[in-house]
Amino acid sequence: MTLWSRLRTWSQAILQRSRMESEMDSELRFHIEARAEHLMRGGMPREEAMRRARVEFGGVERVKEEGREARGVSFLDELLQDLRYGQRVLRKSPGFAVVAVLTLALGIGATTAIFSVVNAVLLRPLAIRDSSRVVPLQEQWRGSGVDVSVGNFNDIKTQSSSYTEISCSHDASFNLQTQDIPERVDGAIVTFNYFATFGVPPIAGRVFTPEEDTPGHAPVVVLGERFWRTILHADPAIIGKPIRINGLPTVVVGVMPKSFDPLLSNSNIWIPAAFTPAQLAEHDDHYLDVMARLKPGIAMAQAQSELEIIALRLQKQYPLDDADRSFRLQALASALLGDQRLSLRLMLAAVGFLLLIACANIANLQLARSRTRQKEIALRAALGASPNRIVRQLLVENIVLGLAGGGVGVLLAYWAVSWIVAHGPAEMPRLDQSRIDASTLAFACGVALLSSFLFGLAPALRSASTRLNEVFKSASSIVGGNRDRVRSLLVVAEVALALMLLVGAGLLIRSALLVSHVDPGFDTSNVVVGRIGLPDSGYHDPAVARQTFERMITAASALPGVSSAAVVSRAPLAGGGSSNGLLAEGRALDLANLVNSQLQIISPSYLSTARVPLKAGRDFTPQDTRERTFVAIINETLARTMWPGENAIGKRFACCESGPKGRYDPVWHEVVGVAADIRAQGLDREAQPAFYIPIAQMPPASWDWIGRTMDLVVRTRGSEVPLRELQSTVASIAPEVPIYRLSSMKQKISSTLERSHFDTYLLAIFAGTALLLSSVGIYGVLSYIVAQRTRDIGIRMALGASQGQIVWGVLGFAVRLAGIGLTVGIAGALLGTRLLSSLLYGVRSTDAITFAAASLLLLLVALIAGYLPARRATRVDPIVALRYE
Amino acid sequence: MDKQLDLLQGTLDMLILKAVSLGPLHGYGILLRIQQISQDRLEIQQGSLYPALYRLEHQGWIASEWGESENKRKAKYYTLTVAGKRRLQAETENWNSMADVIAGILGTKSEEV
Repeated sequence: MTLWSRLRTWSQAILQRSRMESEMDSELRFHIEARAEHLMRGGMPREEAMRRARVEFGGVERVKEEGREARGVSFLDELLQDLRYGQRVLRKSPGFAVVAVLTLALGIGATTAIFSVVNAVLLRPLAIRDSSRVVPLQEQWRGSGVDVSVGNFNDIKTQSSSYTEISCSHDASFNLQTQDIPERVDGAIVTFNYFATFGVPPIAGRVFTPEEDTPGHAPVVVLGERFWRTILHADPAIIGKPIRINGLPTVVVGVMPKSFDPLLSNSNIWIPAAFTPAQLAEHDDHYLDVMARLKPGIAMAQAQSELEIIALRLQKQYPLDDADRSFRLQALASALLGDQRLSLRLMLAAVGFLLLIACANIANLQLARSRTRQKEIALRAALGASPNRIVRQLLVENIVLGLAGGGVGVLLAYWAVSWIVAHGPAEMPRLDQSRIDASTLAFACGVALLSSFLFGLAPALRSASTRLNEVFKSASSIVGGNRDRVRSLLVVAEVALALMLLVGAGLLIRSALLVSHVDPGFDTSNVVVGRIGLPDSGYHDPAVARQTFERMITAASALPGVSSAAVVSRAPLAGGGSSNGLLAEGRALDLANLVNSQLQIISPSYLSTARVPLKAGRDFTPQDTRERTFVAIINETLARTMWPGENAIGKRFACCESGPKGRYDPVWHEVVGVAADIRAQGLDREAQPAFYIPIAQMPPASWDWIGRTMDLVVRTRGSEVPLRELQSTVASIAPEVPIYRLSSMKQKISSTLERSHFDTYLLAIFAGTALLLSSVGIYGVLSYIVAQRTRDIGIRMALGASQGQIVWGVLGFAVRLAGIGLTVGIAGALLGTRLLSSLLYGVRSTDAITFAAASLLLLLVALIAGYLPARRATRVDPIVALRYE
Repeated sequence: MDKQLDLLQGTLDMLILKAVSLGPLHGYGILLRIQQISQDRLEIQQGSLYPALYRLEHQGWIASEWGESENKRKAKYYTLTVAGKRRLQAETENWNSMADVIAGILGTKSEEV
């Protein structure tokens, strides 16, 4: 049979059902009449002939039914019948239908919402041509991946042959003057072939030429579409026009499409790197993101082994810089989205559990109902419905439920997704692209159907296998022992899943509470921080740059309500920062003796303004200039690491620059003070070794390391934060220079916690819902069992059992179920929470307190859910119970 | 008249295909045609004809069209499709070889074994 004719008759069956029916009618009528006429021609009277014709033809209805079947119509027909029947059955028990649909909607809604986030963040393809060929390249240093130095990048570029393009970039932000108020725009400094590496063409103009990527070329810029539309109002004649960036007129050569954000860093403008020969020779400063496009036919492993050869060569060539270094290629998606995977997968697992609990609940409800429906089903079987037909009918009924639940669930998901997009962590890339679209709808539909089968199949098969005579003959209290076991198993599974969710949420909550009580090490109240980046043009001279910042400090300190002000190269919790290898005096110049430590360049007033306690020695003074002894203040961790058990004051270390005799000529810094540790990388991160050097003694080259960018830290007297005044103060001293990321330290702290709070909050919601659903499950099963055992209870009461004994009997069962569920759940949680450990602070993933609290909570809920049916059992009147049934 | 034979299982389809291969016919016409060719020696349940017709049509071996009968009435006429023609040929060959084999088996005498 051809597919086409099958489709045609089926489509006719659906579209032209009534026409087909009437055609069949008239065809059969024609046959009977023709036969009758035939007989009449043989002399038979008309009435007799019609009667004979009908008798010869046989049952018209049976023929029609067989005809429909032959056309393949009957399956659809029966399906429609089943649908109508299912709908009628559900409408007859609205209580059940509402509970089931809502339960399911919770499960499907949560799953769909999280899926749409996962879809947007992880699954949606990156806007890159042939993205599987693009590989990020990182340096490997002491077991961790770090950025690449310009020298290493340049050497790999010239020595490798595996790539069609190899480009690099580093994030930067720029001062932009389009209107009156200067703005700060995020962008990147890139090599000219950066765009070609990703294979994305501009929507207007062109990308950089190799000449534009050389030092001394007139400044040019490629803009992002979003920037072009919002800030430049989609100026159609922008190509070739200059805009003012970092104080210089910079010619726009092209505009990249909105979707071009290959490193998911929200870059809006790109500037050519134009590395100088000095930069290209620098192997010690690691800050580049390197991206390469593999040549066709070259596998990642091949390129990796080539890198290993290059690494060996570089290790010999630059022992001081590259001794411990190798290079590693990664898959693009895991490099970009690796961080997001863990928590999103966690959420997906959590909603999966929730969905399973919802399904278990509905399966339980269905099992309870299938008992009361046994007679109805037996009757249908007796009337000739095949077991197949009965299973199908029950499945269809469940699919009706599933789709209804799915429909409500999608509404829930729609609302949930907009909540997540509004409240989700800003650092999660592409989160704002989450929406309910065709793929999420398809997912929801699939989940709805799958769950209908999950919760529908067991009850349906059970009903269909029911023996007729058993149903009509036996008293109901004898049947169903087996069924109780299935129902109990479902409850045990629910409790186990709910416990795993509760433990997970509990661990995150405990961790969040501990983090919120962490002492950051300095006084965070009444502190305002904003960042200021001086452009190279006009501020190239280190003295000019330093004096500009000093004038800003003076002006800010004079503002009303301000008690003091200071600058620091990277304020606590501002992220990033630069680090240097320190060599204590008296140790051999060897990489193993270097202590890597965070560098903070500060104005003399910084420690007192931020109120970082000084543990020993003295603070910096304005007299600590390059003409005097070079001094440093180190934190306690660095003191412990470099001079364990010794007094660090007066000790010396070399770092940061080299003396007139070349690279191996150390410049010594004397430790004059030891400052308290502060949690500069985040409240949940242990303090790292750190040292401070005064702004007046900083090496001239270090202005380039920090990009002439400093954080202005202002301590106010009250709660009033003079943000506007700070902006105009900065602008009055350095025109065209904005102060950005301006907010109070308290706000900065809460935004670093945003991510973990979001995870915690979501998981807590899921765990709470799971708790609710499983309590409903326990309640349902116990009510059912009490109702079923009314007779036994009546007998026991008649034999003298006290009410207390009855209550304890029922509660004991609840506790037993919960106990088994808890045991299974604890085992599962012990396995599962290990995945959480990287998200936890101060709590182990096997934290006994959390496990105990979650178990107790569930047990308590189980007792409450069991108490109501137990109470009902005590009200059983023995006389009535014995007459029951 | 000879005794009427019950139709062998599965042969009605083949007979219908043969009947319509001789020209378009409506359902009753097919019945008459088969009886005529077989000289009334085959007994066909009239009702069973239609499910068979619908099945053959669904399988694409015959096609139907409404037309006018001999006495000016609307009737549904069936014709053989190209696929049906192939099918009829295959079935005929199959039937003939089967009939030969069966006849050979039934005609075997004891000394030939």
